[in-house]
Amino acid sequence: MKAARLRRVAARVGALFASLFIALTMAFALGRLSGDPTANILGPTAPPEQREALRQQLGLDRPLLTQYFDYITGVFTGNLGESLQFYQANTTLIFDRVPYTLQLVAAGMAIAIIIGVPLGVLAATREGTWWDRAASTVALLGQSIPVFWLGMMLVVLFAVKLGWLPAGQSGTPRHLILPSLTMSLYPMAHIARLTRASMSEALAEPFIDSARARGISRTRVVWRHAFKNALMPVLTIVVLQTGILLSGAVAVEYVYSWPGLGQLALQAIQFRDFPLVQAIVVFGAVVFVLLNLLVDVIHSVVDPRVR
Amino acid sequence: MTELVNISGLSITARLSHGDLRLLEDVDLDIGRGEVVGVVGESGSGKTTLARSVVGLLEKNVRVDGGSISLAGEQIIAPGVDRTGRVRGTAVGMVFQDASRSLNPLMKVRAHLAEVLRRHVRGISRNDIERRSVEVLEQMRITDAKRVLDSYPHQLSGGLRQRVAIGLAVVTRPSLVIADECTTALDVTTQTKVVELFRSLVDELGIGLLFVTHDLMLASDLCDRIAVMNSGRVVEQGPAMEVLDRPRQDYTQRLLRAIPTWS
Repeated sequence: MKAARLRRVAARVGALFASLFIALTMAFALGRLSGDPTANILGPTAPPEQREALRQQLGLDRPLLTQYFDYITGVFTGNLGESLQFYQANTTLIFDRVPYTLQLVAAGMAIAIIIGVPLGVLAATREGTWWDRAASTVALLGQSIPVFWLGMMLVVLFAVKLGWLPAGQSGTPRHLILPSLTMSLYPMAHIARLTRASMSEALAEPFIDSARARGISRTRVVWRHAFKNALMPVLTIVVLQTGILLSGAVAVEYVYSWPGLGQLALQAIQFRDFPLVQAIVVFGAVVFVLLNLLVDVIHSVVDPRVR
Repeated sequence: MTELVNISGLSITARLSHGDLRLLEDVDLDIGRGEVVGVVGESGSGKTTLARSVVGLLEKNVRVDGGSISLAGEQIIAPGVDRTGRVRGTAVGMVFQDASRSLNPLMKVRAHLAEVLRRHVRGISRNDIERRSVEVLEQMRITDAKRVLDSYPHQLSGGLRQRVAIGLAVVTRPSLVIADECTTALDVTTQTKVVELFRSLVDELGIGLLFVTHDLMLASDLCDRIAVMNSGRVVEQGPAMEVLDRPRQDYTQRLLRAIPTWS
C-alpha cells in the first residue's frame, strides 16, 4: 500500500519534471526560431561585424547543443542570464517585480473567489430561476469583457471623473483597488461558471438525496455535502488561474503602470531583450509546474479516494 | 396490528414541458407497526415515486394533487401540505439503491452517523455518539464496528456499505423505514443477508418497513403484504403468499410468469 503510494508520487513528480523540461526546451527553441536576435536587437541596418561581435558576446556563435546545455544547467543552478536592457541578472529583475505581481494576484484572486464561488453556488442551488440566469449573465459578461477595456473604463470613471482612486502606479492599498478589481473579473467569471457546473453535478448525486432523507439541514447539505464534493475542479481552476496571472498579467499591469512581472515582460519584448523574455517564460513554467504539484497535493488532501 | 402509515387516494403529477404526466393515480396503501409491505412492479411503475413521496423527496416539478399520506395519525402529505421535514431522519428512515453512491465519499462512516445523531438528538455528547454508533453497527451485524467507523465508503465492500446505509436509517430509531431497491446492486448472497437483517430489525424494533423491489422472490421472502404497481396504480394488494400464489390480476400473473426458471 505504502510502496504503491510512493510509486504514484514518484511517477507524478517525474511527470512534472518532464513537463518542466519540455517547457524549458520550448522556451529555448522559440527564442532561436524567432530569427537572429542580433538583427532584432541592433536593427536590420547594423553592420555585419557589429552583429558578429554581439553574437559572440551573447554566446550565440557556439554550437546550438552547447548553448542548450549551458542554458539548462543555468536554469537548474538559478542562473537565467543577464538582461540586455538593464545589464542585471534576470533572476534579480524577476524577483524584484514578483512581489508587486503577487500583491495584485492575491487581491484579484481573493475578489474572484469571494464573488465567484457564492455566485456559482447560488446559481446551482436555484437552477432555472432568475437568480441562475442573472448569475450566468454576470459570468458570461465577465468572460467576454476585454481586461484592457474594463481597466480603461474603471480609470475613466473612478480616477478621472470621480477622482476617488489613483489612475495608476503602486504604493498604497488604494493603488491596488482598481487593478485588482480589473484583474479579478475574468477569473471570477470562470470560477462562477465552473462552481455552478460542479455544484449542479454534485447536487444531483444520490448522496444528496440520502442526506436530505436523513433530515440534514439544507444549508449543511449544500455546503458540507455538495460543495465539498464540487470543490476539486474549482480549486484546480483557482490554482491554475493564479499561475496564469502570476506569470504575467500584462494588460492589467500595462493599463495601471503597475511595476510587476507583466510590465517587465512587455518592456523585455519591446526592447527585444530575448534573455529576459526567455527567463520570464522559464519563471512562468516553473510556477506552473509547482502549482500543478500543489493541485495534486490539495486533491489528495480533499479526496480520500486519491490518497 | 397498529396502523403506522396510511396512504389514501394519493395522486401525483409531474409538470413537463410538453404537458402533465400522472405518476401516481389514486394509490391506497397501509403499513402497520412491525409489518413489512412490499411494493413490486416493473421499472417506471411508480414504486420509487411512492416511496419518495413519503419523505417528501419529490422533484421540483412534481406536485401532489390528490389524496394524502399520514404517519402515526398525523397528515404529512396532501395537496399543498408537506410536513415531511418533521419526520425525515427521525420518524422515517430511508435506504437507497446503491450504497456506494448514497454515502458521501468524502465522509467517514463515523462522520455520517455523528451528523445524523447531532441533528436529531439534542445535546448528545461525543461519548454517546460514539457509543450509539458502535451499537447501531453491531446491530447491523458488523463485527469490526470500530474499523468500519474509521473507514470511508470506498474502503468498504458493497454489503458492508449497504449495512452502514441501513444503520444510518435506523440510528435515530424511526418507526418507519423505506428501502428503495436497496438490494438491487448486491450479489445474491449479500441480498439474502440484507433481507435477514431487515427481518430481524422489524422483529426486534417493531418498525414498519416499506420494501420497494422489482424482485418478486425477494419480496416473497421478506414481506408480510405485497402491493403490485403498474402505470402509477396499485393494481393488486394483499398478504404476500396470497398475491404470489393466487394472483387475481392479469398484470400480476404476467409479472410472475416473467420470473426466469431453471427449466
